[in-house]
Amino acid sequence: MSALAITFCIVCQFLLVMGQLFLKHAMNCVDVTPRPWRRVIWNFAAGVGALTLWFFLWVGLMQQSALSRIFPFEGLNPALLVLGAWIFLKERLPPVAWVGVLMICVGIGLVTVS
Amino acid sequence: MDAPVDSQLPKRAKAPPSNWFLNPYVQIAIGALLVTASELLLWRGAQAVVHPTGIAKFLGINALASGWTWLGILTYVLSFICWIYVLRYVPLSIAFPAINIVHVLVPFGSWLFLHDQISPMRWGGIALVILGILLIVGPVAQAEERL
Repeated sequence: MSALAITFCIVCQFLLVMGQLFLKHAMNCVDVTPRPWRRVIWNFAAGVGALTLWFFLWVGLMQQSALSRIFPFEGLNPALLVLGAWIFLKERLPPVAWVGVLMICVGIGLVTVS
Repeated sequence: MDAPVDSQLPKRAKAPPSNWFLNPYVQIAIGALLVTASELLLWRGAQAVVHPTGIAKFLGINALASGWTWLGILTYVLSFICWIYVLRYVPLSIAFPAINIVHVLVPFGSWLFLHDQISPMRWGGIALVILGILLIVGPVAQAEERL
């Protein structure tokens, strides 16, 4: 894989994680009374926007590589998402989860060099 | 002394409906199957059209000319509806690692249906990714069962 393709794969994962964080924030707001509609709509729109960008980049990458080669890049997502949820949503996971994050990163390394 | 693992886990946002089909974990499983189908269909759609050159080759807009792509988009939209439902009831740091079961389903599907060649080293990398995901989800699932 070229350096540019790998860069696009990583950008894809950041867009996907950002989209998920916005969507979760929107859904968290749904259960607030009175319902803050403006905040729900803005976060939902931002989430869908980030996921739309991710979608077109992802389909473009699929044209360049075997699915089994690019798909494991998505293994970055749990690591990025646990970090994102920790920072932005104040969600916490036990320390053993961070071992899992390390294993995911090593796994991705193996996939990209094979 | 460290706090018990349960107390370190993110709290469930809201109690889900009692209907089994509306259980958010059933919806995660349905969503994972739909995402797998979507990825395979989108790949077929991407391969079915003429490939552009230059920077445009990284944007898959021309893949919209294929019916496979539209079928992939339809299954993706259905999985998105499942996902939005799940997000209402399950913390993101639990739901997202759980939906990553697609990391098993998609390579297996691409090997089975698209005849992709996967080297032993790549299988090893994929397995390591899956084990890592299980380490993240495992304690959370155990705690959820006790709730």
